[in-house]
Amino acid sequence: MKFKGKRGAEGGAFRKKFFWKKDFLLLFGLILVLAVLIHGTEIQSVEEYYLLHLDDVTPESETVTLSITCQTVFEHEKVLDPALREGDLLPSDGVILPPTEYVLREGDTVFDILSRAVRHEKIQMEFQGADKSPFGSVYIQGIHWLYEFSCGPLSGWMYRVDGEFPQCGCSRYSLHDGQCVEWIYTCELGKDIGAEWMGGQR
Amino acid sequence: MRGNAGRENAFSRLHPAVLMTFFLSELLLTVFLPHPVLQAEALVGGLLFCLLLWGGEFLRELGFYLPLFVLVALTNPLFSHNGVTPLFFLNGNPVTWEALLYGIFLAVSVTGVLFWCKAYSRVMTSDKFLYLFGKVAPRLSLVLSVALRFLPAYLAQSKRVERAQKGVGLYAGESFTDRIKNRLRVFVAMVSWSTENAMEVSASMKGRGYGKKGRTNFSLFKFTSADGVFLALILSLTALTLCGAAAGMKNFAFYPRVSRVELSPVSFAACLSFGLQSLLPALWEGKERILWKYYVSKI
Repeated sequence: MKFKGKRGAEGGAFRKKFFWKKDFLLLFGLILVLAVLIHGTEIQSVEEYYLLHLDDVTPESETVTLSITCQTVFEHEKVLDPALREGDLLPSDGVILPPTEYVLREGDTVFDILSRAVRHEKIQMEFQGADKSPFGSVYIQGIHWLYEFSCGPLSGWMYRVDGEFPQCGCSRYSLHDGQCVEWIYTCELGKDIGAEWMGGQR
Repeated sequence: MRGNAGRENAFSRLHPAVLMTFFLSELLLTVFLPHPVLQAEALVGGLLFCLLLWGGEFLRELGFYLPLFVLVALTNPLFSHNGVTPLFFLNGNPVTWEALLYGIFLAVSVTGVLFWCKAYSRVMTSDKFLYLFGKVAPRLSLVLSVALRFLPAYLAQSKRVERAQKGVGLYAGESFTDRIKNRLRVFVAMVSWSTENAMEVSASMKGRGYGKKGRTNFSLFKFTSADGVFLALILSLTALTLCGAAAGMKNFAFYPRVSRVELSPVSFAACLSFGLQSLLPALWEGKERILWKYYVSKI
């Protein structure tokens, strides 16, 4: 009996030590996961995020023109989200960004120009990353608090380059000098802004 | 004499039809009226009632609800970037004040509904549920009552299994990892128990002739004048709240800018009536307890 009791006590002490080790392993694993998460996260203050200064337009620099408009919203005011109707949230003429010239950097896509422009003009924008989209391209969910589906079930943002609606996502379209990019809000899947190929006629 | 004479709380002694009306109205209004004032009232009412029902035990359970509240409130701004007031930018996406407020609103709503569901499971016992719906839809009501009872019964049984295992001397490790392992082992045992139990319940109910004609109920409930007053009160309060909802309270928006809380007479009345309705169980419970203390003191 005596022997048994002694052995039990020793076993208990040994077990305790061993279990503490296991707990430490778990803790270590958790810290590792947290470290990876924190390392992959970039936190910026509001002042840091908004770009105060962009590349200056010089005679030899390549440029593109960018504009953001939402006139179609006013033709479909009945289905517009009530929260957007009140006050001065949307510009009364539908022009969020008048045609402005931006310097084109090497390999810039439509998305690069747009994100640089909204950061400079302090326009709100939310997008879905290319890794989350089935098309392998960035998808623009909302600009200036005007989101997809904010104005009826067929509404959302589309872009036009030199009068044509490209058939690819905005982060896959590389731009050249002198092109004109327009971001236009549609309420009828492109029909109301002249994008026939999506409007369902063909 | 009421059926459940042994129960200590006054509110559950009301007629099952009244209780059912109250819980349906309270839960549906809380879920479908996205207005911050109404949600806060539902939360406070549910919290007070649960405190009166469980006392100190419930305070300990707040250790679960509080982290849940914080988690829900903080998750929303991480995934929703709408709103006019950016606080800071996370990986190029704004974390906004509006999204944070909406997260808090969601957390208030979720915990409020959880509190009321908890109170429901305590007050509307399965005999009351079967009394109400056993005759109209025997099968459905049995399935529903078994399903609603499942979680509490499951927790009680799993505690029993755990205690038995500890009593035998198994799985008494002190480390956190070991405790998780033990829980998993208990869980495996519980899966087989729960399937078996569900079958046993239905077989036993069949053996007792459940759903046959001429079968009476285990508990009998009489609809008294107090029940009538309560029912009328609940229905009129619900109607008033619905008037407020129809007058535009349901259009409260958080994005892109938080709407203002309207101070029109209709919405004010709706807030008042829903607040009274949410506090009704706690008030009734408190009143009865004070009366009881008073009577005891006179003996």
